[in-house]
Amino acid sequence: MGKAKRKSDQRSAVSGQTSGGRAVLSIIGDSPLVEEYAELCGSKGYDVVVVRDSKGKGQKSKAFRETGAIPPETSLALELTNTDLPAKRKNIEQLSKALSPATAILSSSITVTATQQSSWIDKKHRLVGFGALPGFLDRALVEVAPTVFSPPETIEVVRTFFHSLGKEIEIVQDRVGMVLPRILCQIINESIFALQDDVASPADIDTAMKMGVNYPLGPIEWADRIGFKNVYAVLSALEDDLREDRYRVAPLLKQMAEGGDWWKQSGTTS
Amino acid sequence: MFKHLGVVGAGTMGAGITHAAALTNTDVMLYDINDTILRRALERIKTDLRTGVKKGKITQEQMTEAVTHIHPRTSLSDLHSCDFVVEAAIEDLRVKKDLFKHLETSVKTSTILATNTSSLSVTAIASVLHRPERVVGMHFFNPAHIMKLVEIIAGRNTSRETVQKAFDLSKFLGKVPVVAKDTPGFIVNRVARPFYGEALRLLGENVATHEQIDRIVKSIGGFPMGPFELMDLIGIDINFSVTQSMFDQYFGEPRYRPHPIQKQMVDSNLLGRKTGRGFYEYSDEKAG
Repeated sequence: MGKAKRKSDQRSAVSGQTSGGRAVLSIIGDSPLVEEYAELCGSKGYDVVVVRDSKGKGQKSKAFRETGAIPPETSLALELTNTDLPAKRKNIEQLSKALSPATAILSSSITVTATQQSSWIDKKHRLVGFGALPGFLDRALVEVAPTVFSPPETIEVVRTFFHSLGKEIEIVQDRVGMVLPRILCQIINESIFALQDDVASPADIDTAMKMGVNYPLGPIEWADRIGFKNVYAVLSALEDDLREDRYRVAPLLKQMAEGGDWWKQSGTTS
Repeated sequence: MFKHLGVVGAGTMGAGITHAAALTNTDVMLYDINDTILRRALERIKTDLRTGVKKGKITQEQMTEAVTHIHPRTSLSDLHSCDFVVEAAIEDLRVKKDLFKHLETSVKTSTILATNTSSLSVTAIASVLHRPERVVGMHFFNPAHIMKLVEIIAGRNTSRETVQKAFDLSKFLGKVPVVAKDTPGFIVNRVARPFYGEALRLLGENVATHEQIDRIVKSIGGFPMGPFELMDLIGIDINFSVTQSMFDQYFGEPRYRPHPIQKQMVDSNLLGRKTGRGFYEYSDEKAG
């Protein structure tokens, strides 16, 4: 069945020590998600390499190093782009070319399914999707979406990797939005529809949801933390995928994603 | 500021509001149609106050004092001295309209009339009055003596002063008021719809099991309860009818469309905790 061959393709030492040093982890994608993951993985003992075209101008971190090229000795790659799908495709294609077929690619699959992403590359067995949005990295659980091409060995690599970060995995079907991003971003969308309809002020909407139904954060402050660009990316991906009016993005949310944080100062009551 | 508060309807919400007000040493005229209901409400308030003492939230003295401020009444004309009346009758537009008509003739012209509703239009309730500008919505959350939030609903004709007085009363009762326009679901019931609706869609599309969705929402999202646990607690029938009502009031807006899973569960009497089974089984709890 080719299972033996597949097995030999997989490197199971992703989370452990590769011979002669720490496991090299390459991370590529959107800020601030890349930095969040790089810090966490660095703190867990990985040799973290952030791959960027132009070297970051920001402050240097001790937890990771930056390069312009993908290190071929990478034992696991993380692709963390949610907003710019052509860029994501380019990254996945480059990772696939630069790395040995034994190296697994873990890619955020919230705005584009892992299945679709694996259609961009030859060695489809190496790619597994997972849920990565800014602001949730301290959580003990992560959503993982294998594809029909993912053998158990690849999923084990992923499980071992997340265990090494102190996380359990929850395996869900490979669909746009996964579970939490879909529920949460739809709550945010509804809150922005309410804001757009002038039902209440942003502060009152947040207060109402925190005190009325015990939400840990108000939906608008939550969107601010995740980034309106990311929320918009999730919602418009859902809209494209599901093609129902239910997933229509609030026009005001689109403006908030495009226009910066003008709305924070503006009065909302007319 | 609020020497005499009227509460109309001695059910769960009316009792909770009375409880909260009595603890501020405000005299509350608690109205209902008969003594039996009022006696039951008073017992309930006393039980809740005792729980408050046991938990160290209030002192024995506060409890004793609070009880002296509750005045059960079976005649609406006894509410004449009240500066502010909160109506907490059943969620039925006809009943509420009828009550408000009677209330208007029973109280002073300056009295603010608030309706505690989660789903009815404040504007529609106020429409039966000669002076609709003094009617305002005050959506308390259950249990009303514990939950801090009050949604203050400005109807189409509600005056600014009326909204301000409802705001002041909420603060006076130690609540956290937010102001919302009179639109279906106000803030909370509207913005919370996708919490249940998307979870049901995810389940229906087989993206994950209900246990997985609850686990993900709690563990990654940090919500205190998962959507399926919460629907079981609220009652799947109640949650379904709130959704259906939002859907109808927005003339079929697809964001509020109920899910067939809800209807099927209601049809099969799997209503959640109260029937011993909903999305989960509650075998060790009493059913019915």
